[in-house]
Amino acid sequence: MQPHTSTAPAAPSAEDPRRRRIRRSALLLALIAAAFYFGFILMTLVRGWK
Amino acid sequence: MAEPLAPAASDDHDHKPHGWRRWVYATNHKDIGTMYLVFAGTMFFIGGLMAMLIRLELFKPGLQFFDPQFFNSMTTLHALIMIFGAVMPAWTGLANWMIPMQIGAPDMALPRLNNFSFWILPFAFTLLLSSLFVPGGAPAGGWTMYPPLVLQTGASFPILIFSIHLMGASSILGAINVIVTIVNMRALGMTLLRMPLFVWTWLITAYLLIAVMPVLAGAVTMLLTDHFFGTTFFTAAGGGDPVMFQHIFWFFGHPEVYILILPAFGIVSEVVPTFSRKPLFGYEAMVYAVASIAFLSFIVWAHHMFTVGMPLAAQLFFMLSTMLIAVPTGVKVFNWTATMWKGSLSFEPPMLFALAFLFLFTVGGFSGLMLAIVPADYQYQDSYFVVAHFHYVLVPGAVFGIMAGVYYWLPKWTGRMYDLKLATWHFWLSAIFVNVLFFPQHFLGLAGMPRRIPDYAVQFTDWNMVSSIGAFGFGLAQLLFPYIIWKCARSGEHVGKKAWEGAHGLEWELPSPPPYHSWITPPSDAVIARGAEH
Repeated sequence: MQPHTSTAPAAPSAEDPRRRRIRRSALLLALIAAAFYFGFILMTLVRGWK
Repeated sequence: MAEPLAPAASDDHDHKPHGWRRWVYATNHKDIGTMYLVFAGTMFFIGGLMAMLIRLELFKPGLQFFDPQFFNSMTTLHALIMIFGAVMPAWTGLANWMIPMQIGAPDMALPRLNNFSFWILPFAFTLLLSSLFVPGGAPAGGWTMYPPLVLQTGASFPILIFSIHLMGASSILGAINVIVTIVNMRALGMTLLRMPLFVWTWLITAYLLIAVMPVLAGAVTMLLTDHFFGTTFFTAAGGGDPVMFQHIFWFFGHPEVYILILPAFGIVSEVVPTFSRKPLFGYEAMVYAVASIAFLSFIVWAHHMFTVGMPLAAQLFFMLSTMLIAVPTGVKVFNWTATMWKGSLSFEPPMLFALAFLFLFTVGGFSGLMLAIVPADYQYQDSYFVVAHFHYVLVPGAVFGIMAGVYYWLPKWTGRMYDLKLATWHFWLSAIFVNVLFFPQHFLGLAGMPRRIPDYAVQFTDWNMVSSIGAFGFGLAQLLFPYIIWKCARSGEHVGKKAWEGAHGLEWELPSPPPYHSWITPPSDAVIARGAEH
């Protein structure tokens, strides 16, 4: 049995793809949020012009 | 993979910063979770104090204490503070504490973003509360901020808009963190359908947040430009459409209701099996029911605005889609009941709060069905019946869910058991007074008493008095809550890693309290499988 808190960092090469995935998914979600923000303003603008 | 060890094994790695730096620069999910919960508790008492003032004024007819403007400011701020300052941060606090421990992750995926999303909140709410001291007073147009009324707000208008933007930003960043953590940080073997229901409900809640908080932000940005930059998005005189604001607001507002309640479904789904000593009945059905509720929440928004007028087809669509929500909600209620069926039940405080949730949230659900019926809604709209309905959903619903969660996991967080007798008193006082407070409001609404008024006709006096007495009782009972937590943290009896006999889940495989850094070595598949006995 090993202590579950033992510092056993994964090799950097194994960690990198996960970091990349985290960064990419965070950016994607931020873009979706931004799209909802600007999309609704745009939709109201377009509707106002009709 | 490694098995978790006893607490002693972790002590030498339990490094943590000390003093104010620990909190200001916090990146540890447990510290940030604690800060969220303390913040939410503080806001709960500030918002609660406003509720007491509202009920004090309504104790009898006639203007007693406040002018109508201040009364309306109280109703507006009470709603904003309770929704964005108390309930949402409380859920985020619970998510921060529990999600990494429940999925076998060492922390949230984006710890510095986590710190940032928390520290936005104290600024947002200090700003909002500061509006009480500006000329013209705090915003008084209701939390729904309908134009053109809200555009008449004085100097506090930009304060309101900026603080809403800050709250929204905090929620969106928090939601991004939750999704990214759940998607990327689960331990090997923690498949989606092994995740605890609390994690599932939060994952779905986070998607809802990302979809709808920007919509609210967009709506209030347009209010801001209408007020200061001469645009006429919602100003009829310039070709704008004030009803459009209502559509946009409720496109945010209805999913927001589910943002407030879905994590409570998760908590109840953790608590009921634990104290029934049985696995959760229909785990997968519960997951699909939550997902269905979240989907349906996007297509029901106009039931909040039947009386502004819309085509008959639209009325029918929104009425029927709203009623459809009763199906997955019914699945959940029946599954919780089936979980208890022939279980070995015990009634510790988390179970009591979960059971009260089950009964009283259902009461709120039924009055919601009544409101969904278009011709009936024409009678109930803007009456105290609506106030009774959403308070049944949000107080014995969301707030009792939070209390069930705190009482369930408090022994895990502190490593100590709280005073069960006092917590049971807290439950019974809350459960009795919450009904004394809100049930008479159904009668008031059906008799025609409108909401958001500081004075009323004399025939409404008796039930208003009863409701106010219930409010004071409920408010006083809540003072027990921080006392029980403080007493527990100071002098509660020590507990082992599994504080409740029937508990399952990865968090119960960790020592109590868990080490500052937990699951640095991920849990083994055997440990995950043991925890996932839903």
